[in-house]
Amino acid sequence: MSTKDVMPQFALFQPTDIENALDLLEKYGERGWKVAGGQDSYDWFKDRAKRPEAVIDLGGIAALHGIRETADGIEIGALTTLSEIVDSPIITESYGVLAQAAGRVASPQIRNVGTLGGNLCQDTRCWYYRSGLDCYRAGGNTCYADTPEGMNREHCLFGASRCVAVTPSDTAAAVVALDAEMVIRGPAGERVVPAGEFFIGPAVNITRMTVVEASELLVAVRIPSKWAGADFYFEKVADRNTWDFPLVNVASSMIVNNGVVEDIRIVCSGVECVPKRIEGAEQIVIGSAPDAETADLAGGTASRGATPLNYNHFKIPLMENLVKRAIRGNV
Amino acid sequence: MANDTHQDANANTGQPPVFEEARDPVTRRAFIKSVIATGAVASTGGIMLVSLSGCSDDATPAAGSVERLVNLNINGKSRPVDVLPNETLAMTLRYKLGLTGTKLACDRGECGACTVLVDDVTHNSCSTLTHSVRGRAVTTIEGLEQPDGTLHPVQQAMIDELGPQCGFCTPGQVMSGVALLKNNPNPSREEARQGLAGNLCRCGAYDHYLNSIMRAARVS
Amino acid sequence: MAFKHIGKNFTPPDVRAKVTGKAKYAEDFRAEGMLFIKLLASPMPHAIVRNLDASEALKMDGVVGILTADDVPNIPEPQMPILTNHPKYVGDPILAIAATSEQIASDALEKVVIEYEPRPFVIDPLVSLFPGGPDVHDSGNVALFRGKAETIKWTARDFAAAAENELPRGKPQGEWEHGDVDEGFANAALVLDETFVVAGHPHQSMEPRSAFAYWENGKCYLHASSQSHTFNVPDYAKYCGVETEDLILIAEFCGGGFGSKGTAYPIATIPAHMSKKVGRPCMMRITRAEEYFLGSRRNGFQGNVKLGFSEEGRLIAADLYVVQQGGANDSFPDYANAGEALSLVYTPEAMRWKGIPIATNTPPTGAQRGPGQNQLACVMEPLMDKAAKTLGVDRLAIRELNAPDSNTTFGGRRSTLSSAYLKEAMRNGAERFNWEEKKKQSGQRNGSKVVGIGVGQAFHPGGSSGFDGLLRIAPDGKVHIHTGVGNLGTYSYASTSRVSAEVLGCSWENCVIERGDSRRHLPWNLGQFGSNTSYTMTRTNYAGAMDAKMKLLEIAAMDMGGTADDYDVGDDKVFFKADPSKNLTFAQAAQRAIELGGKYSGEEMNEDMHSITKASVKALAGTGLIGAAKDNHPSKGLPPALATTFIKIELDVETGKYEILEYVGTADCGTVVHPQGLEHQIRGGGVMGIGMAGLERIVYDPQNGLPANIGFHQAKPPSYLDVPPEMDVGYVDKPDPTNPVGARGIGEPLMGCAASALISAISDALGGVYFNRTPVVPDMIINALADRPQSYKTLQVSNQ
Repeated sequence: MSTKDVMPQFALFQPTDIENALDLLEKYGERGWKVAGGQDSYDWFKDRAKRPEAVIDLGGIAALHGIRETADGIEIGALTTLSEIVDSPIITESYGVLAQAAGRVASPQIRNVGTLGGNLCQDTRCWYYRSGLDCYRAGGNTCYADTPEGMNREHCLFGASRCVAVTPSDTAAAVVALDAEMVIRGPAGERVVPAGEFFIGPAVNITRMTVVEASELLVAVRIPSKWAGADFYFEKVADRNTWDFPLVNVASSMIVNNGVVEDIRIVCSGVECVPKRIEGAEQIVIGSAPDAETADLAGGTASRGATPLNYNHFKIPLMENLVKRAIRGNV
Repeated sequence: MANDTHQDANANTGQPPVFEEARDPVTRRAFIKSVIATGAVASTGGIMLVSLSGCSDDATPAAGSVERLVNLNINGKSRPVDVLPNETLAMTLRYKLGLTGTKLACDRGECGACTVLVDDVTHNSCSTLTHSVRGRAVTTIEGLEQPDGTLHPVQQAMIDELGPQCGFCTPGQVMSGVALLKNNPNPSREEARQGLAGNLCRCGAYDHYLNSIMRAARVS
Repeated sequence: MAFKHIGKNFTPPDVRAKVTGKAKYAEDFRAEGMLFIKLLASPMPHAIVRNLDASEALKMDGVVGILTADDVPNIPEPQMPILTNHPKYVGDPILAIAATSEQIASDALEKVVIEYEPRPFVIDPLVSLFPGGPDVHDSGNVALFRGKAETIKWTARDFAAAAENELPRGKPQGEWEHGDVDEGFANAALVLDETFVVAGHPHQSMEPRSAFAYWENGKCYLHASSQSHTFNVPDYAKYCGVETEDLILIAEFCGGGFGSKGTAYPIATIPAHMSKKVGRPCMMRITRAEEYFLGSRRNGFQGNVKLGFSEEGRLIAADLYVVQQGGANDSFPDYANAGEALSLVYTPEAMRWKGIPIATNTPPTGAQRGPGQNQLACVMEPLMDKAAKTLGVDRLAIRELNAPDSNTTFGGRRSTLSSAYLKEAMRNGAERFNWEEKKKQSGQRNGSKVVGIGVGQAFHPGGSSGFDGLLRIAPDGKVHIHTGVGNLGTYSYASTSRVSAEVLGCSWENCVIERGDSRRHLPWNLGQFGSNTSYTMTRTNYAGAMDAKMKLLEIAAMDMGGTADDYDVGDDKVFFKADPSKNLTFAQAAQRAIELGGKYSGEEMNEDMHSITKASVKALAGTGLIGAAKDNHPSKGLPPALATTFIKIELDVETGKYEILEYVGTADCGTVVHPQGLEHQIRGGGVMGIGMAGLERIVYDPQNGLPANIGFHQAKPPSYLDVPPEMDVGYVDKPDPTNPVGARGIGEPLMGCAASALISAISDALGGVYFNRTPVVPDMIINALADRPQSYKTLQVSNQ
């Protein structure tokens, strides 16, 4: 239980280009730590739960900043701040679900510094894990949340595998709903991963939340033009309306033609370690009008397969209701 | 000392004694002493400065790591200062530059009490590495008052509307208000509310702070 | 009485420093050679330190000193220790290290090796009450406020007699009864019998309780975050091991307290002890997580209340049993306050109260804004709604029917009140809120939103008496008002000082407030807590100013003839009533006082004053005209602070979230002393109440005693976006007959009435779902709406 707030000492590197950053990552490996906005990293350090030897501050790499239009949509540098996303005309006009999600992250000060890449790559907020306990995710051999008496109100409904933590990211649901592509650079060059495969659960790797290796960098997020100007919906339900993590949130993109849903992607955060696509509901909706009847039918299936813990079964009706709203709107 | 209002006689509260430290011949030490002198001149409180919090003489930086001796642009002045790689801006301001108006309430970016402007954008200085603001303009609460004592409209409005209660979150509220009005000189009350949403106030003076921001927008 | 200063707004002298960042809180002081202290806290909820090895830490460059429990005075349990070898909660400080930087001190803590022997721990009071259940203290599980601990265990039969979701009721620690309770229930048209839980929640002041100390010539200079000033000094002196006059407390500004910094707290003296040991000034910056451990929290309740109503809604019998979930200390007697509050606010014709405070292995609890009264409001107000709806009575009418007035007697001792205008406050609020129209909106649907209308009331004692007023008219004519009350941030230190200007008929610009530092020769005043300042300090300053006024009149009569009765004060002068051109300026009078000596210049003084005041008068003697007197103004009955809140919400039935659309808070606080200050209290209390009702609670893992909320985002104080953007305020402004200016206190109930009004509104929006549990968080609302069982057991505490 950390009562501290002074970071352990580390070497600080401030590379100005990607290659230099990759060299440092290769050199330090697991002893290095990438910092984007640092809004989660510094807390880990202050807790002394993470003690990198070298911190690589990516903020000075110009190539990682900015929003660019491409032939097939837009590309957002991973170090683009959440405020820049909220204020971006092209994102608010064409990919509004991402701006809405970014706008609900934490507080104005955090959004001014916190980045899209950092928000997507942030670690889980399971309070046991954050307390510095030796749980599975921290390399131990137990889970404190998934017990008869564990305080697991914020934990998962789906995808438990020893660990029952959830993704806390608001923007993660949005990028999956936009079917974004994640551009990753590493020693072997660049690879592009669909957002739906970018996030990983404990069954794949219990010690991290994304496919990005220690030697790699998330450099950009590409959003395809297919979803430009679609009908979007985003809603976050948290205890507080500022600086809080979602109990459940929903992000969706929907293309409607002549009153009939042509395509739709619905994603929830806060219910699984990864942003959860609600594919069953999507299939119900496609080909129908996005009306209340369809919404009720599809939303009612959203929680199928859920295995609630003692304190989190409220997430079942909550996610069902949010999925309904994603389809029919909040009327 | 701090209180410059005519009805409050607390003019010289709590001046602690000076304790001489053993002189250290190392060059960096001399540099720090000069930093201290600069800090004492520029600090507004007239307090004795300064201890070397955050500085540890045993740290040997790795090759290629940042240089510890930096010049910072604080309230329009260049301030030389010795900064550890892991040092936050809040600690640099408070413990090396004597700028104690920036308050530490959570040190986790959760409350906004330590809000400063970096290139006119609000940052939680507790969650900003000092090395990341090299070459950028930092404005703190101490940087708002004109040399003739004229306050920033947000500060004046907070007096006129009696914005604060206990006052501990107030510098952060002021800084968020200043940043808001720079970007949006005529905010709606709802825009002001959103703009200040990152600043907690346990006394619950939110309504009074919003009244202050709206007044500042009207008069400026 | 027409006032010149009372009831008017003014610019308090400390506000400019707050908006410029020049206000100095404890952590803003510096001294050359200053060391930095870091605390090592217990990782276990209950343990004995068997071995402590700090040798590696002490070898580090820059580490200067260590302090353990063996180095500091032992404060006997159940009081909070300074440092301990018997940690009783996760976060209990075991040792402190001082180093030349925070970095080194923090790094050094990691090199300390401690062997702990774990002890059984307890989070749920009922577990401790069960035969064989763990006790926090060696001396027992029932820790009496400012007293000893004792052991009370209930029998297994007591537990067996209660159904699983009922409160078992064994032997209480305290009880009282008036009237025939059983007959009352027998005659009742409606009996409600309800089990309830109110969660404890932390004070979470914005300023952590950092402290800074050094020694000079045998005196200890302590900079601490404090709501109070002179009231703390004797205890701080005791904790530091010095005489009262050798403890210099510097506490000009306090970054929020809410009860948690009202009296001296032992850990503030850690830098004093360290500084004495190492001979250098020491700064102890307290972290936010440490503040959650050391910064106090409200006691939790498990309880049962049985209420018997007549057909009209009159409360004819009440039976309350409160089990208090205290911390690892002598917790504040909230459980007893709750009984008094029920008796006072709802005036049952017959009532029984029983209660027991149980220590648990959680951080120390203390008085938090309305300690006991505000928990009781959250329990009772929804039940008043339930009774009203069941009986078919208007919800406001049932409250008015049962509300107290100036003739009400209450509690086991049938105490009396100085005056009470709660009904007037309720009517004032109802009018501002437009109750008659608003109540028709109850349950209205707009899409997924449903309207809920709520009303709440609360009480706290609102004043005290018997403290000392002190002022000095200097030879330059300035009136120096010395106040030892502290500066919590309410501005009442200043607004109550204006009584002195009122009595002396002088301009406010001619007054100077002396405060915040023992060296300013402050009088013995009550601390700034318990909603008492507006009442107590107006009386106190009145006493000091009347003494000064009498001396002015006497000096004038001596110099200009006639008797004192022939003179009056005004415009910074004392003048002959029949011919105001015959006068002495305050400056002249002060010079005459110095020449006259004796009582006029403080060379002689009243014997009934406190020794702290006497020492201050002695120090000021001969420097001007001294007004110094104990407040012996007549008292009659308890001055109550009373308040109501009306709230309208829209609750989203699909998400369990609600928006507070309207808030009206109204106060009955006697004469309004400072409108802006009062408005701050009404709104600020409302904000804290919104947190209490819907967001804040402590959460502990029952398996390992670990706290889940040690940061703002977990403990969830309301933000701008969780409260209404505008909050309306009203007040009765009817003078209290026992106060010279008619004032009473108000701060605390404003939180309880807001919290209970919000819970009332939520239950109303849900069509009459009464949770009997505070806070009401979104998952509870969602489960209620979805007709799902709640996740918690009825009596469960510290759960999510």
